[in-house]
Amino acid sequence: MSGPGFIFWGLFVACAAIVAAYAAWLVWEERR
Amino acid sequence: MSAQIWVFIAYFCIVFAIGWYSLRATRGETDYWIAGGELGWFTGGATMAATHTSAGTFIGTIGVMYTAGWSFGWVLLSIPLSYWFMVAVLAPRFTRQKELTIPAFIETRYYGKGIRGLAAVIILVATVVYIQAQILAGGLIANAVFGVPTTAGMVGFTAILLVYTIVGGMVAVVYTDAFQLVVMGLGALFAVPLALRQVEGAGGLLTLVESAHPLVFTWETMPATLLLTMGLSFFLGGIATPEKLIRLYAMKDMRTIRRGVLFAIIMILSLNLLVFVLALTAIVLFPTLPTGDLAMPMIATAVLPATLGAIMLAAITAAMMSTVDSLLIVAGSALSVDIYQNLVDPGASPARRLRVDRLGILIVGSVPVVLLLSGVGEGELVQFIVLLFTALMAAAFVLPVVGGVLWRRATREGAAAAMVGGVGATFLWEAFGAASVEPVLCGFLASAVLYVGVSLATPPPPASAIEPYFGAPTR
Repeated sequence: MSGPGFIFWGLFVACAAIVAAYAAWLVWEERR
Repeated sequence: MSAQIWVFIAYFCIVFAIGWYSLRATRGETDYWIAGGELGWFTGGATMAATHTSAGTFIGTIGVMYTAGWSFGWVLLSIPLSYWFMVAVLAPRFTRQKELTIPAFIETRYYGKGIRGLAAVIILVATVVYIQAQILAGGLIANAVFGVPTTAGMVGFTAILLVYTIVGGMVAVVYTDAFQLVVMGLGALFAVPLALRQVEGAGGLLTLVESAHPLVFTWETMPATLLLTMGLSFFLGGIATPEKLIRLYAMKDMRTIRRGVLFAIIMILSLNLLVFVLALTAIVLFPTLPTGDLAMPMIATAVLPATLGAIMLAAITAAMMSTVDSLLIVAGSALSVDIYQNLVDPGASPARRLRVDRLGILIVGSVPVVLLLSGVGEGELVQFIVLLFTALMAAAFVLPVVGGVLWRRATREGAAAAMVGGVGATFLWEAFGAASVEPVLCGFLASAVLYVGVSLATPPPPASAIEPYFGAPTR
């Protein structure tokens, strides 16, 4: 992908993905 | 009186009220420096996010993005990753024994008062420079809101900050931070839709930005090495800046830390993304600003209606104040606890210690404004001072702190060499190195080589230094 599409929207998606991954880790850590 | 001034008067009244309440809640040094070590996830996470979000975000980040384009935004991803590393790897071991300051941790782990003093001196010097950059931003805001000279604004903000921080210590800092985070959130949330309306909405914005600044959505505006090393700087600095580490001691337990940091990450990412969008609107609305640092004040004064503009300016002020108050705590404790009480007057009574603590904050808070008034440190882009501070902290403290709780063999001499060498290498690269690589890379590598090399070449640490941090991590 190139142009404004990926460089712009990709950042929002990446931020959401990191938050989701952290939240999943948190839940896993508390159930452990 | 104008709406702007009323918004600011209300804002300062709330801050002072919190300071007054905190005075009554502060009974000893543990309350004064780490809020009793009993913070919950909301206050703990809020103070982390508010401390992280500085004038660097509201003035500096928007300034860099205005000049260099959207690719800079991707550096943001290093921030949640660094918090995650801090919580998952560092915190469970680091918080097994709570201290009042980071240099106190250095003394316990590296068995020496001298190395504690060294850490305190590095923190003091770097923090004073960082506070200067923030206070300077405060002066620009005061000039925009009240029309007073920048210097009067700097003195005024410093006085306000000193009053509530000296009076209420960490308790005041934490609760004012939570309030200031709300102000920042409101400011950014109101500003974005109004700014978007001026540029024909979100769809119109992207087209208009590209025609005003054709390279804005490409990777060509900043060298890849610079983006990657800036990311490294935020990652490493995020792990080991003392004002963040001390919050691990201030929160109740690991469960609280994990939840608080999730809250902090969400707030930091949201605020930054909103600010990034504002930077794009500034490219369209004000294409010819002399410096990117003016983009946010221009939006607040020329795009938003008076009251909302005032809330936006209050948000920038909140970002600045909530960072400086935390730095005052870190630098003040370095001066009064780690240098004065540790090296000069170890036998002071508790009442005298609290008096010295307050005096320490007064001193470290006054020095930056005195330096600025005498013309030292003016005119730098705020974001680059933030980056240099982050690089210095990363080079000095990541290995002694992270290595200290992960590697038993690390010695006092290794840690001292890592701190001095890391700081020295960072400055050398800043002065003579290539501008396309952040100085943190050189500083961190020098620090790593010295930490490992000198540790292996010196006698292993005594059991008393290892015992508090090794064994089963706290959960």
